[in-house]
Amino acid sequence: MGAGSTTLLIIAVMAASAVEAVEALTIILASGITLGWRSTWEGTILAILALTAVVSVLGTTIIQHVDINYLRIVIGTLLLIFGLQWLTKAILRASGFKALHDEAKIFEREVAELKKEKEIMPAKRNSVAFVVSFKGVFLEGMEVVMIVISFGLSNGKDYSQLKYAVIGAAIGIAVIAIIGAIVARPLAKVPENTLKLGVGVLLVTFGLFWMGEGVGISWPLEDMFILILLAIIASTTFGLITYFKQVHRRMIQEVRG
Amino acid sequence: MKLFKAIWEFIKSFGLFWKDFLVGDSPELALGVTIILGVSYVSRNSRILDIVSSVVLVMVLMMITVWRKTRRHS
Repeated sequence: MGAGSTTLLIIAVMAASAVEAVEALTIILASGITLGWRSTWEGTILAILALTAVVSVLGTTIIQHVDINYLRIVIGTLLLIFGLQWLTKAILRASGFKALHDEAKIFEREVAELKKEKEIMPAKRNSVAFVVSFKGVFLEGMEVVMIVISFGLSNGKDYSQLKYAVIGAAIGIAVIAIIGAIVARPLAKVPENTLKLGVGVLLVTFGLFWMGEGVGISWPLEDMFILILLAIIASTTFGLITYFKQVHRRMIQEVRG
Repeated sequence: MKLFKAIWEFIKSFGLFWKDFLVGDSPELALGVTIILGVSYVSRNSRILDIVSSVVLVMVLMMITVWRKTRRHS
């Protein structure tokens, strides 16, 4: 992989991990503030350990035993589905058809639900806090793991790419963790939709490129074609946002007038 | 019997996790990507059709999915 596509890879993994880290942080804060920090930390740490085990076992097993072209087909298909899910949701949010992701509102809802649980189980070591933080961190983290493994293994036995993907994820999570530790409240001001839009474009681009390579398409200009695909997907995305923004505006005017 | 039930529950929740992960609330995306994969495979030896068809199909899939969801949301 060239320097340009490696940089894109790191940016994609970093931004995707940051988005998932924001969501995990909301759950950790809600659980910690409402039910106590001890069990919340225990659940969080266990989830991080479980995720590390999944990356190391799955990563090395796949590298050693799976043919590179099959790997690219699976990775490309997964990234394409996952990227299109993010991208279509982000387009709907940007054009006004779907409410923006509001971490502050999610935090309030989570706290209200956990307060009810606290009344039922008033214990020092809280099993609800443990389960909530473990589940939250593990499920959000699994998406990061999927992205790290997909981006990291697309070159088969070349471990350097896995290293770059892990570095990207670590930077994304560390930035959110540091900000979260400083402000100690949900990160409502993170431009999550913009991040998801950008990551969605990158995931779809890499997904299509690798899926194509896996089935045997020989892309012109090799890795450089990623940039052309990126431009095509990005312009389609912005075209759709512009068009559906107008549709949304027209619908509101019709309802009002 | 208890062990059998626990294994079944694990398999069921594992399957549901992946179903939610890959299909979620957009089954048309999973279906569309499978079709794109098939078309790309069939046309892989043509010089330009494979590239054009895969890129155009992704763009069409994006448009259809967003259009369908805007109708649902309105």
